[in-house]
Amino acid sequence: MIEILFFGRLGDASETLRVELPVGVKDTNGLTKWLSEQNSALGSELEKAGNRIAVNKTIISENSAVKEGDEIAYMSPLSGG
Amino acid sequence: MTANYLKICEDSFDPEAEQKTFREAVSGVGAIVAFTGLVRGEDQNLTLTLSHYPGFTESQILEIAKQAETRWPLTGWRILHRVGAMTADEPIVFVATASRHRRDAFEAADFLMDYLKSEAAFWKSESVDGKERWIEPRAQDIDDKKRWEK
Repeated sequence: MIEILFFGRLGDASETLRVELPVGVKDTNGLTKWLSEQNSALGSELEKAGNRIAVNKTIISENSAVKEGDEIAYMSPLSGG
Repeated sequence: MTANYLKICEDSFDPEAEQKTFREAVSGVGAIVAFTGLVRGEDQNLTLTLSHYPGFTESQILEIAKQAETRWPLTGWRILHRVGAMTADEPIVFVATASRHRRDAFEAADFLMDYLKSEAAFWKSESVDGKERWIEPRAQDIDDKKRWEK
């Protein structure tokens, strides 16, 4: 299983997903593509600029491996304080 | 004992009480700067809702605080940030810094706020008369943060 979390705007497009690692998905680019195929509204949100991805609570800046047991978070632009 | 303290608050907090607690926790300092950010009171029908990524948000803020400690000789810092629903005039963020000299405390508090605005994992939505929209960092917030990258 992997857990996929969505924050901010992206949270409007999808609930948290707990799914088996989809066949053929090995990295974050693959996962993003798979998500877009499942949910086109989410797909168009994921294409917007300024989103960030964290794997196991660490922000990644380039395509990164995804494996069984990982927690992947998709985040829309941040706004605190 | 360290005066450093971080809390993500589900409920409203009292900035004056926080400032007092902080002052009592630091000793031998010459300066304390305390900043409180409020939900702007111009629209009384406004509800602001903040969410965060538990675990991640905290570790990221600790990282930002660590950077501040590297840049300025701080005796301590205290950060509180609200999540959940809040209305006009409520405190949303509190940042206090203490140091021997005022300039370090001023600059570190300013730095911490700029980073909290644009780099900390919070998501803000506002609802006015039932209409909801996401708020994303303004260009000004990004520019404010860039001041520290020189």
